[in-house]
Amino acid sequence: MAAELLMEASVVLANDYTNALEEGFKVIPALTVVLMLAVFLGVGWFFRVAAVDELWVAGRSIGPIENGMAIGANWMSAASYLGVAALVGTLGYFGLAYVVGWTTGYFILLIFMAAQFRRFGKYTAPDFVGDRFYSEKARAIAAFTTLVIAVVYAIGQGSGMGLMAEYILGVSYEVGVVVFMLVTIGYVALSGMLGTTKNMAIQYVILIVAFTGGLYAVGWTQGYSTVFPYLEFGAETAELSEIAAEAERQFIEPFAQGSLYAWVALAVSLILGTCGLPHVLVRFYTVDNERTARWSTVWGLLFICILYWGTAAYAVFGGLLYEDPASGADTGVTTGEVGSFMDMPGADADALVVLAAQLADLPEWLVGLVAAGAVAAALATTAGLFISASSAASHDIYTTLYNPDATQRQQVLVGRTTIVAVGLLVMLIALNPPALIGELVAMSFAIAASVFFPVFFLGLWWENATSEGAIAGMLTGIGISFVAILNDVLPMYVDIGGEGAVSPELAAILPGTSSALIGVPVVFLVIIAVSRVTQDPPEDVKRMVRQCHSPEPMSQQQTAEDVAATDGGQPADD
Amino acid sequence: MTQSDDSMTDEQPVLTDGGGDAHAVHENTDYLDHEVNIFKPSTPFMKDNLRMIFVLFAAWIIGVFGPVIASYFAEGFMTETTVLGGYPLNFFLTAIVSPLIALVLAAVYAWYRDRLDTKYGISHETEVEDDSEATVSADGGEVVSDESEPAETTTGDDK
Repeated sequence: MAAELLMEASVVLANDYTNALEEGFKVIPALTVVLMLAVFLGVGWFFRVAAVDELWVAGRSIGPIENGMAIGANWMSAASYLGVAALVGTLGYFGLAYVVGWTTGYFILLIFMAAQFRRFGKYTAPDFVGDRFYSEKARAIAAFTTLVIAVVYAIGQGSGMGLMAEYILGVSYEVGVVVFMLVTIGYVALSGMLGTTKNMAIQYVILIVAFTGGLYAVGWTQGYSTVFPYLEFGAETAELSEIAAEAERQFIEPFAQGSLYAWVALAVSLILGTCGLPHVLVRFYTVDNERTARWSTVWGLLFICILYWGTAAYAVFGGLLYEDPASGADTGVTTGEVGSFMDMPGADADALVVLAAQLADLPEWLVGLVAAGAVAAALATTAGLFISASSAASHDIYTTLYNPDATQRQQVLVGRTTIVAVGLLVMLIALNPPALIGELVAMSFAIAASVFFPVFFLGLWWENATSEGAIAGMLTGIGISFVAILNDVLPMYVDIGGEGAVSPELAAILPGTSSALIGVPVVFLVIIAVSRVTQDPPEDVKRMVRQCHSPEPMSQQQTAEDVAATDGGQPADD
Repeated sequence: MTQSDDSMTDEQPVLTDGGGDAHAVHENTDYLDHEVNIFKPSTPFMKDNLRMIFVLFAAWIIGVFGPVIASYFAEGFMTETTVLGGYPLNFFLTAIVSPLIALVLAAVYAWYRDRLDTKYGISHETEVEDDSEATVSADGGEVVSDESEPAETTTGDDK
């Protein structure tokens, strides 16, 4: 049932329609965006790099707070900034699965993987898979998956940027997508990761100020809340629930928009996806040691929670204002197009955070700041994704498989070409996105969870997992997650007669956004079963795994492989 | 403290908080010779670490999936009870409390791991800080707060 509702929402978004965002070019919001981008590019230029080593891991010189902010900015994409409020607003309690799924997963990442990954000390997810499972084939599969995840994830960001451009620049959605994606591509290709990491701390600050600033202003001016809105929107939640009930929709009833199974499956998918996302893991290589990796995860989770606690408040405030705009503007409800806020069209939903500020009749510069923050969120995340994609292509596919003697110049060239190619592909799909922002991003999480989480987890925690097991497992994960997604979105592109999923029965058990609850256990079983019947990994690989769990400190530039290769296992003191 | 001989042989030492034994255990363990299997921790350090991991993991499951499961079995109670001026209980627990629980548990784990490092005499400091050595053995918690407190004040503005 949830799947059908989601598909309906997607179809609405796909069609041309107008939304409640104010039209026209706005000077001050536009200048805010230009200023922000100038700051980003300026910082990027200041920290410009050419060496390929620095391009990826920023020389491993970042502390826990700064890295926590980078984790936060990396995380807080258009999906968090815009998409989650949209899903809570239109799906009620079911939408909270996104809030839970996209915050609490960091705890699992922390207790099981963060420090071990830092100790492993390899640049990218494909590098980890390739070295841990001593197989170039495994590395290639991982690199391919990294590219797919980056593309699916970035489509949602492109969609968010297009919506914001409508408000800020007064251009059409399509023009907005193109303009902002070109800016992102140019920016990432030039600055590389040292620049973007520095930017990401800055972007986090801008983003959280814009987001919470808007929330405080809406709550204050409408009399909803005063100093701490997160704990002050209870009465509004109850009121909104009654409004929904009058229109025969359920905002609070837990299983009105999806079953318990659908809720848990979604949350689990997002949680495990968190632990399998290449561009999240890469953040742990940029810190000094595993202790910093642990604490930056905690800081990162705090920075993420500050935003996510606000999303539910935004959804509630936005819902009330959509029903009864303080600014007197037209919305879907006031024009009678839809019965209640929960039926608002997809573009209104995805713009709900900015809409709330606009409908609360806040001054244009403040609404513009909220919108600019959304652009920053989308841009920061897209930058991280493009870096992951570029290193997967240049480092793991081109250099490792195709041209082992590649010079740094060649590698950088391949990396940059990949960024441009991925950027253009994302732009094309984002022009007519197949789902809401939050759903698109959730699909990439489902892929990460089914394909990467099992090999990461077993790779780190079971030394007898073999390359054959990993390859079989990853292929199974790709099969399950891709089938689930295609089942949901294919009807958008291919006429199969009728709307909704190809097979509604399959979509109910295996939604594209939540395939991991089934996918992950299946992949675990495949890896364990195949590993049991194939030959154990070589001793040096086992020693490498053990080194990931040793409490013995390692020097900054050391990898588990370096240490495992020595006889004593006790690294020399610095 | 009396078990140190036995403990070295069967590798399940009874460790006190003082850390003297644990330091010795750590010194004498070659971590590269012990199998890694999440269900069969092979070193005292990993045993300590995994015990905490599983305890916190169980708490996390309750914190994260408790509210939605409670909403399933006691829907009326969860939706009709209101807290803090009107929040339906299920909404409040899921939207606000679950992420908070994850955050608190994460901090607890990171803090516990620092204590574990202290107990086993492990230091991650790469720069020379002469004073820190003394505080580490005197009180494990100090190292954490020393570094994170100034940090808190610098980020306080963002909230």
